[in-house]
Amino acid sequence: MADRTLARRTFLARIGVLGAATAFGSAIPAALPRTAAAAGSDALLDPLVGLLRPVLAELARDTLSGLVVMTCPGPDRFSHAQGTPRSEPGAIDAGADDFIINALDNFLPFPDQIATPLATALTTALDDTGIPLPPSLHSLLLGQVNTVDRALMVILRNDQTVPLSLVVGLLLNLLATQVNPLSITGSLLSPFARLSIDEKCRAFELLEGPNADLLAVLDSNLPEPLTSSLSGLLQFLAGALLEFSAFGAHNEFAVFDPDTKELTARPVGWELAGYQPDGVVDGWDDFIGYYEDRTEVGA
Amino acid sequence: MRDVIIIGAGGGGPVVAKELAARGLDVLLLEAGPRHADPESEWTHLENDANNPLSGFLRFGPENRDAPAWYRETPQNSFIWQLSGVGGTTQHYFGNSPRAMPGVFTGYNGPDRDAYDTAHLFPFTYEELVPYFEWVEATLPVQTAAMGTKESVFFRGCEGIGLPVQTSKTTTEDSFRPQENAILQPGGWAGKLTGRDDPRLRFPEATGCTFCGYCMQGCSKPRGAPRNLAAKRSTDNSYVPMALTADVWADGGRRAELIADAYVTKIHTEQRGGETTATGVTWRVGATGDYHREDATVVVMAGGCTEDPRLWLNSALPNPNGWVGRGYTDHFFDWVIGLFDDDTGSTRGAASAARADFPGRGGMENVGLTPGLQQFAATFSDSGIRGHYTNGRGPEGPWDGTAGRMIGDELKDALTNGIDRLLNVLVITDDDVEAQNRVTLSALPADEHGPVPKVRFHQRERSARTRANREFVARRAAEMLRAAGATKVVRIDWPPLLLHVQSSMRMGLSEDDSVLDANAEARWVKRLFIADNAALANSLGGPNPTLTAQALATRTAEKIFSRYFGGDAWVGRESPVVSTDSRISAQLTPSR
Repeated sequence: MADRTLARRTFLARIGVLGAATAFGSAIPAALPRTAAAAGSDALLDPLVGLLRPVLAELARDTLSGLVVMTCPGPDRFSHAQGTPRSEPGAIDAGADDFIINALDNFLPFPDQIATPLATALTTALDDTGIPLPPSLHSLLLGQVNTVDRALMVILRNDQTVPLSLVVGLLLNLLATQVNPLSITGSLLSPFARLSIDEKCRAFELLEGPNADLLAVLDSNLPEPLTSSLSGLLQFLAGALLEFSAFGAHNEFAVFDPDTKELTARPVGWELAGYQPDGVVDGWDDFIGYYEDRTEVGA
Repeated sequence: MRDVIIIGAGGGGPVVAKELAARGLDVLLLEAGPRHADPESEWTHLENDANNPLSGFLRFGPENRDAPAWYRETPQNSFIWQLSGVGGTTQHYFGNSPRAMPGVFTGYNGPDRDAYDTAHLFPFTYEELVPYFEWVEATLPVQTAAMGTKESVFFRGCEGIGLPVQTSKTTTEDSFRPQENAILQPGGWAGKLTGRDDPRLRFPEATGCTFCGYCMQGCSKPRGAPRNLAAKRSTDNSYVPMALTADVWADGGRRAELIADAYVTKIHTEQRGGETTATGVTWRVGATGDYHREDATVVVMAGGCTEDPRLWLNSALPNPNGWVGRGYTDHFFDWVIGLFDDDTGSTRGAASAARADFPGRGGMENVGLTPGLQQFAATFSDSGIRGHYTNGRGPEGPWDGTAGRMIGDELKDALTNGIDRLLNVLVITDDDVEAQNRVTLSALPADEHGPVPKVRFHQRERSARTRANREFVARRAAEMLRAAGATKVVRIDWPPLLLHVQSSMRMGLSEDDSVLDANAEARWVKRLFIADNAALANSLGGPNPTLTAQALATRTAEKIFSRYFGGDAWVGRESPVVSTDSRISAQLTPSR
């Protein structure tokens, strides 16, 4: 039992949850009465769930901020952390973190039949790779870790809809600590956001390539016949995360007023690209003529 | 009881609707997505508002944009970019209307006859389809594209690699040319003036394409033009207005009825004389969840290459040879970006007005995109991340480094070099019909319209000819960009992007590998026809599919009329009415 708890603690550290929870350690009870043992929501767990939910939302945001700056580094701390600071505005200035979180949580029609088993895997997986935890992650008692774990289970498994941004964030953190175990602790909340850009690329290589370790963690929770779809869906996810990050970092999402359908400021992506310097047009003076003056051709 | 019910108001369905409404039939046109009746108030020229595949007004989803898009399972790195709504995917198409290669038709006997997908030819000759090409070309109309800066760069590159210019509609050799496109060419102040809210850029002081650069965001330019005089001839601007006004421009014509937000969930059949026969459809109203059923003499499927097989399978229609949903072709696109030191005008003008073709190989065309889509396209790869990992691919060639997605500084530098100092080339592969690339029903739970489609593409196991063709055209694209003066050339190596989609319910010579007979009628269900890209026998040799699908749909309309309504054919005997006809305009509300 102690081994399982230790292995689970290591796993929680790898996906970033342990570090995030450490921030409010004194508020975490070391033990819950037996009546609180069920995975369902419980009056005794509710206060902790209330504390943990915004912390995990921040963890997801940090992780996805670390993602979006891959596609458009800027002067922000996430670009610094990956080793590519830039003086011009970047993905964070463009609101791409909000864009990707909004897309994942509100719009991506990712079936719960896949998302739920992924979330379940994250609430039950163990880590016995023996990654040593730094002292900063030892501040919680094992009983407290157990309590955090049960609160996590409530958040991931009892919501009407799985918060996909959190699931994706935890997944990226798991990969990050596979690439670089030292990313388990550091200045930002998220292990993934702590990686260099080279290491982030390695994490994506693991996500879209054949990654037996990752599939072993995730596969066992998927019902047949979905197991065969999983590696393909992870390939799809890997591509989509980068493509949507790039799209979100350069479009008008952050400065669009849906009520007026007008922009409240010039989008970062337009400025970077030198796109339509005077804004939206009704036309351009770019009609040169017809090639070789030919305006029609025969059959 | 209708004469004809047509499922889907995309690139093909409205063609049948217009043709048969003109013959006086009672036509009902059903569209699952929204109808954008007033683009000037409903649309913007902003790429996230327009093109976000999850929430944009041009997406594959319901009318209510607060609701998620409709799900399709894609168990591989890939992206399906079809649109719902009246106009379907033509709402964001570029209007390019090349004819199919003659070599993909039965009876072709040119010296390059063995260079094509000869196992999956059209079950009739190219010459037979020519009058239908001409009819559609006159109706839309299709014209030779005007040239902007990015076309001049493309042509410079093509000249530089020694390609001759093509001056005919039919392609006979490796060559380049301005597109033949379904865009009204610039008139008046259009293309001669940069500005916003300038009265000279309003209709009628400006007519046709104003070079605004927003083809991908849907076309309603010039401002103030009646819908049927908007520059780009997406079917919401051309065939749909014609179908809805057929009584005013056709002798004996009858207005078709269009119902949007109507998702067909079942095709009904009965046994007649020992044959399975289509009798009608049931659809679900998105806004209310109510179901309606209507019967018809003939049912026409035109919901697209992904939805047609889904509806067929959900309706439990017969599939004795297993080819429903198989043979899906997508031109196995690739993307090559050239960076320049000078203005390329990439974001100005019609999005893609220049092309080159390589019969038996495929073709390539220039494409201008807005910043977010530009960066989306540069990160969409099956070859990992350039300089980091290749994901088991990473081909090398006349481009710089290995193919793959750009990231970090390289990706940003490519954009800050100037979006109007780059030129994108879309590589369009002449790809083979293969049974393994297909639509089935997903094991994931059904949505409100029944089991959802699963679209499987085995991009790495495609035929040797398909893969060789793609490499050939990608190399030519890179060489052309260098010849045009590019200082850096990046090949992305896209995974499947399902945008040109064809042949998932193909017609064919053989009963063993086709769903439709030579008249586009289902082999195993009488009175059921297919009239969209799914009906195409193959990938056409690479030309963009809309024109050929529309020519085939015109032919199919004639087959329906002669077989089930006792009428005569009209193509070649009558003169087509152009979709810009003033009698149609008079029935339409001008945009603001």
